[in-house]
Amino acid sequence: MSIYTIEWAPPSEPVRGMEAQPHNVDDDGYVAVEGLDRNSVEHIRALEQRAAAKTASDYAHVVWAYGILWALFAGYGVLLWRRTVWLSRSLAQLRGGAETRPGAGR
Amino acid sequence: MSLVGRDKTSSMGPLPRQAWLLVLHDLRQELREREIVSTTVFFTLVVLVMFGLSFASLGTALHPLIAPGLLWLCVMFVGSMTLTRIFDREREADTLRALLVAPVERLAIYLAKATVTLLVLLACMALLVPGLVVLFPGASALATNPSTTIALVVLGCLGYVAVGTLFAAGLATGSGKHVLLAVVLYPVTSPVLLFALVATRALLEHHPRVMTYLGQMAAVDVLLLVLGAWLFEPVLVGVGRARVP
Amino acid sequence: MTRAPVAPLLFGAALVLLPWSVVRVFLDTPIERQMGTAQKIFYFHLPMAWICMAFAVVCGIAAVVELRRRSVVAGAVAVASAEMVLIAGLGMLISGPIWGHATWGRAWTWDARQVSAALLWLIFASYVLVRRYGAAGSERLAAALAIFGAAEVPVIYYAVKVWKTTHPTTDVVGSLPPSFWAALWPALCALSALSLGLVLVRVRLELLAQQLERQADS
Repeated sequence: MSIYTIEWAPPSEPVRGMEAQPHNVDDDGYVAVEGLDRNSVEHIRALEQRAAAKTASDYAHVVWAYGILWALFAGYGVLLWRRTVWLSRSLAQLRGGAETRPGAGR
Repeated sequence: MSLVGRDKTSSMGPLPRQAWLLVLHDLRQELREREIVSTTVFFTLVVLVMFGLSFASLGTALHPLIAPGLLWLCVMFVGSMTLTRIFDREREADTLRALLVAPVERLAIYLAKATVTLLVLLACMALLVPGLVVLFPGASALATNPSTTIALVVLGCLGYVAVGTLFAAGLATGSGKHVLLAVVLYPVTSPVLLFALVATRALLEHHPRVMTYLGQMAAVDVLLLVLGAWLFEPVLVGVGRARVP
Repeated sequence: MTRAPVAPLLFGAALVLLPWSVVRVFLDTPIERQMGTAQKIFYFHLPMAWICMAFAVVCGIAAVVELRRRSVVAGAVAVASAEMVLIAGLGMLISGPIWGHATWGRAWTWDARQVSAALLWLIFASYVLVRRYGAAGSERLAAALAIFGAAEVPVIYYAVKVWKTTHPTTDVVGSLPPSFWAALWPALCALSALSLGLVLVRVRLELLAQQLERQADS
């Protein structure tokens, strides 16, 4: 299934205002196509626009949420790694210093 | 003055008697110097004035909504200050260490310090509650139901003191960073705060479930007292020697 | 004595499981009707919450062991678990409002779980601060704090539920059909492996730091 499809099934019963109009021309010279009048088509377009806006907003939220989570873990991991490197180096230095001093330490 | 009270004439066990003697000792010292009570009561007055300045413009209908928060936040501020001061005094004179070394039951020390802190807090409440009623007339239910108000205040302060004594004592044996006490106390006493807020609001709005909330507060207090008493000795003294891998 | 490299194994597992879980979440799971694509946040938000709670319990238990036996390893485990509680808790407290904002237009809904999670996060943050900046000997106090925190988990949750009776109710998250739950388990495994690996690394780091202190003192 493509991630770009939105689950929207056309209603089983006709929506109010979607009754087929006779093929006559209205004020703006608009001719009904496929039995749908202008009102219903604009209604459908508005709904599709709202769905598209919601999808776009949802994607932005998903990206932020996942991004922040991964950044948190990655940041913590990097912090731990750097501290481990520093600590190991300090320990090695101390041990090296202790060995060169005879009789020092335990 | 002997603190190890195996008093043959008393029918009480040594623990309550030790705690009682410690409380008397602290109260006698406080009556002589009057330092803690005067500073904390004055602090309560100052906080009351600040609350009045900040929230006086709100309408009477809003008073039952804000009075619980003001009351219990003030309790937490004053409690933190009181605990800090009580244990600062011990640390300055190094008497806490002496107490721990002496053959006194640790639980007696905990109970004594908790009791003294509670008494100081209740003294401040004697000023705070009437002060709030005067400044915020919408909270007058606090005055018209004195027994419920007293029970509420005692239970709330008791829960706070049960937790606070443990952590203040623990921080007092070190170099005493006061900000750490504040950092520690407020989150850990949040259940007490939540229950107290709900019970106070129920009282102010004449809600029928006030007694249920007070019962829940009492249950939380018992839990916190048991935890605090159980952890007092391990925190202050530790158990045995450290094991190093 | 050589030890099995558990942490690298866990990181390797996480490295494999994370992309797979993303594929399962975004490509194999249908989009939920009510909440739309934003519902996918749930697949990482819920494991964060579980990991946070699990390590809070681990921290409490380690603190008890540390107090009773003065065990240094238990102390290291307690610190590492507390830090993971903070990280996972922060992830939960950030992803939850993002999800709420996308779905209901309100980031912070004063939901009982949300508020109690925030309070517990504060308790463990104060634990980490006391361990870091407390005087020598404050480890025992910090352990008591962790025990209080772990013991107060049910109390705080119940207290917040009672407290919410004074607050407006929030929208209820509808129950999800089974096909949506299948993608949760890969995400949970991936994040659990990652967090466990990080905790093990942190424990080793803490023990190294204490070794350094002892070496410097001697």
